This record gives sequence, C-alpha cells and structure tokens, in this order.
Amino acid sequence: VLQLVLGQLLNGIIVGTLYGIIALGVTLTFGITGIVNFALGAFMALGAYLGWYLTDGLGLAYPLAVPVAVAATALFGLAADQLLFRFTRNNLINGLIVSIGLISVVQSVLLMVWTTTPKHMHYVLPGVFNLQWFIVPKMKGVVFLLLLAVILLTYVALTRTWAGRAAYAFAQAPEAAMLMGVRTGLLQTGVVVYSTALAGLGGALYASLYSLEVSLGSSYILKGVEAAILAGIGSVMGSLVGGIALGVTEAIGSIFLPQAYRDAYGLVFLVLILLLRPAGLFGSR
Amino acid sequence: MKAALLWLVPFMLPLVLHNEVALTVLVFTFILGILAVSFNLIFGYTGQLSMFHAAAFGIAAYATHLSMEYLGVSFWEGMFIAVLVVTALSVGVGTICFRFRLREFYFAIVTLAFSEIARLIILNWSSFTNGSLGINLTEKPTLWVPGRGVVPIEGTRTWYYLSLVALIATVFVCSRVVHSWMGRCFAAIRLNDELAGTLGINVFRYKLISFLVGNAGAAVAGALYAFYLSYIEPNYLSIEQSLAIIAMVLLGGREPVTGPILGAFVLTALPHVIPLSAELRVFVYGSILIITILLMPRGVLGIVTQHRRVF
Repeated sequence: VLQLVLGQLLNGIIVGTLYGIIALGVTLTFGITGIVNFALGAFMALGAYLGWYLTDGLGLAYPLAVPVAVAATALFGLAADQLLFRFTRNNLINGLIVSIGLISVVQSVLLMVWTTTPKHMHYVLPGVFNLQWFIVPKMKGVVFLLLLAVILLTYVALTRTWAGRAAYAFAQAPEAAMLMGVRTGLLQTGVVVYSTALAGLGGALYASLYSLEVSLGSSYILKGVEAAILAGIGSVMGSLVGGIALGVTEAIGSIFLPQAYRDAYGLVFLVLILLLRPAGLFGSR
Repeated sequence: MKAALLWLVPFMLPLVLHNEVALTVLVFTFILGILAVSFNLIFGYTGQLSMFHAAAFGIAAYATHLSMEYLGVSFWEGMFIAVLVVTALSVGVGTICFRFRLREFYFAIVTLAFSEIARLIILNWSSFTNGSLGINLTEKPTLWVPGRGVVPIEGTRTWYYLSLVALIATVFVCSRVVHSWMGRCFAAIRLNDELAGTLGINVFRYKLISFLVGNAGAAVAGALYAFYLSYIEPNYLSIEQSLAIIAMVLLGGREPVTGPILGAFVLTALPHVIPLSAELRVFVYGSILIITILLMPRGVLGIVTQHRRVF
C-alpha cells in the first residue's frame, strides 16, 4: 500500500504542476485584467497539438518543437487579446463568456484539423529515474522540473524586475501605477500573452506524457481555475501549491475512494476551502 | 394588451403550418425557452451567473422518470416530485452559496462544482441511471381530456400545444415576479448587492427566491424535454448544456422576459436550416457567444426594444 500511495502521490504532484502552470496564468490574467480567462484551456490544447504535430508530424526535435509551439500559442494569444479580450477588460462576466466562446471555437477547429482520434506522441525520453523509494519515468521528472523552474522564474521576475513590480503596482492601484509611468495597455497585453504562453508550454509538455484529446483543454482549465482559487487568486507561488494540492487530493482520493469520482474530490475540496477560507489557502483578506 | 394578443399567433400556427420538422423545432424551442426564460430570472434579472441550471434540468429529467418507474406515479405527479427534488437541492446549494456570500465568479464556480458532482453521480450510479448509455423512456405521459378520458400525449401537435402552454405559464410567472416588488429587489441586488443590503433588502432571501423559482422552471423544462425526446442521458447535466442556455439568453436578450425564447429558437432552428457537422455547430455556438457579447451585449430583442424606445 505504501508503494501505491507514494506512486500516486508522485503522480499527483506531477499532474499538479501542470494544473499549477495553468493556475498561474489564470491568477496573473485575473490580477491584471480582471477577467478569468477560460480560453487558457484552449491554448493549452493548442500548444499540446502543435507540440505533437511539430515533433511527430514535421519531424522537428522535441526540445525545438516546444519553444516553437509556445511561440505560436503566444501569437494566437496576442491575436485573441487584441481582437477580443481588449474589449472585455474588467468586465468579469463578459470576459468569462467571451473566453468560454473562444474555448468552443478553438476546440472545434482542433477537431476539424486533427479529428477526434487520440494522438500519442512517440516516447521522447524513454527510461526511468530509479530513486531509492520509487521509480519516476524520466520524462515526467523532466517536465516536473521544467514547470517548477518556469514558475519559480516567474516569481523571481515578478518580485525582482521593474516590469514585475509594475504589474504588482497595477494590480493594487491601476491609476496610481499609470501616473507612475506604467504603460498599462502594454502591461495588460503582455500579461495576457505571457499567460497564454504558459498554457502553451503546459500543453506542449503534456503532449510528451499523455495521449491528446481535444477535450483536455476544458478539463485542465477547470483544474487550473480550481487550483488558483484554492491558493487564493493573486498568489504566484500559491498557484503552484494549489495545483499540487489539487493533484494530490485527486490521486490519493482515488486510491481510497471510488476512482470514478476522481474529479469530484477536487471539487469538494474546493467548495470547502471557498466556504471556510474564502480568500484561499494563501490569500489575505 | 397588444403583447398578449401576440401569443395567439403560435396557437394558430399549426393550422397553417403542416411541416412536421418545423413544428418539432418549435416544440424544442418552447421547451428550451422555458429553460432559458427561467435561467434568465437568475442571470439576467438578479445578476447571478448560475451554472446549476443544466443540473436542475437534468436532475428533473431523471427524477421524473425514476419516480414513474419506482413509485408508479403518473407523469404529472412525477414532474411534481421532480420539481420538489430540484427545489430541495436548490435550497441546499443556494443556502450554501448565498449564506457564504459567494459572488460573481465564485458563485459560478461553486454552482458548477455542484452541478459536476451531480453529473458524476448520475453517470456512475448505473443501477438506477444506466450510466453514460442513458435510458430510453417507454412510458408516455397522459392527459385527462373532458369527454375522452385519459389519453396518452403523443404526436407533434399535442406536444406543441402542451409545451406552448407550459412556456406561456413560465413567462407569465416570470414576468409577474420581475414586475413585482420582488423583481425590484432582484434588480437592486444585480446592480449592487451591498448597497441593496444597506437599503434593508434581505439579499440572502431574494437571491434564494430567484434561484429557487429559476431552478423550478428548469425542472419543468427537464421533465418535458426528457419525455418529448423519450431519452435521457447524463449529458443533460453537462457544462455544454449550461453554456447553451447562457448563449440563448445572451443572443435573445436579457430583457424583456421573452427575449431568451428568441435565442432558444435561433439556436434550435440553426442546425435544421443549415446542416452543420457536430464540430461546426460547436464553432458556431462559440462564435455566437463572442459576437453577441462584443457587438450586441443587449441581445437581439434588447436592441429591437431599445430602438423602439428611441423612435
């Protein structure tokens, strides 16, 4: 049993970092533009399919395919921001509905281009890390470390650079930040595009681990939003911890409780957190 | 008064319209219209983006069937039980959400969570619900007609009048609620619920009333829809169903009360007018959501009434 629990714990942590990277995008976008961007799920699916297509379809080396997929996703993010989200800033309901509409559009386009058949990428990095207690497939380890690094770097960039502090300032007091010389339009667009790039990265890495289905976008954005709320919207490191907490809850929950309700465990956890600590685990209010 | 006379048109319509497909589209429009109009009470008038609506719709469909099957009651009694079940669940969900003052996005996500949990339970409780395969309903609802006794409700025409009457009843109830002092409390809550609270409006109570009445409407729609289609499946409770309802309301317009019916009509008729593959349909749904929000946030009927006021 211990072996099983440890294995599931590890799986939960790795899936949790994927939730975390989406949650980070959700948190950043919400903090700066006041909308919850459900379309991040669509961008994750887009990144995943692009990553798969570039490697298996066009024969690009995977380490090269990932940045290309991320860049392409970010471009789509830029287009979406300029054409759609620019008009729904600070209008939560409208932004939500536009992003939900966008997720349907992107998913149906993906379906039309790549059909419903699940896509499996060939093993990019076969083999396992054999640690003392348990075995980790190498690729899972690499994905975990990469995502961890990106989240940490984002945190450092937000706290240590001028742009990061400008973003914090803007989140706290938009007008004051504007008066201090922060170019707010640019900042908002930048954050939206950065969030989509994060989602694209999550997707491109996801493609190397699991088989791809178009619906992955909508399920992962739900988890991402759950994780962001769990942690308390606005907290960068919180989104990582929230994602891992969610992943672990689901993984451990499905050992001891029926597997079929896997998605429900996270939801129950989320509802409890929202009721008992409305600001989230790390939020302050 | 003029508006009331307009209701006579759909009553006359089957006399001139003999196209079975067109009538079927209208039956679906009426039933989904009940769903959209009742959702609009919560979303459009009280300003709460509930994602529980598809759940109320689906739970009622299952509850009606299950109570007919296991309690041996008639369709109408089954529908009544379904409304009671949905109302009881809504009291639970609503009390949790509103007692803890969940707003906007948080309200949407918690109602979504409850609705997903309900869907998972129905999906996995196979001994009762037959899981993802769904159930073919063999029972026919019956109606007592003076002079002819109890007759089964069959055929497009009978369903047409039945669903039309149900829709009119829903619109009547909703517009009565909206134009009463209760409706003004809803509007106050929508505009600023903290301010409404300081004005002495019991925010909790009116949010809950709106949530209950809206979900009861969805329950009626669920029972009718299930037995018109003679088939129920867990997808009744899916997120896509919730989105379709939102799309109807946005497209038709949040005001007047009848606005969402137009949205229901367009979205039901569209696949029949232009044959679309399943993927393209999702594409069109999504585009409609985006375009309505960006270009006509008041919906089609909203724009029409707005212009009428101007001229």
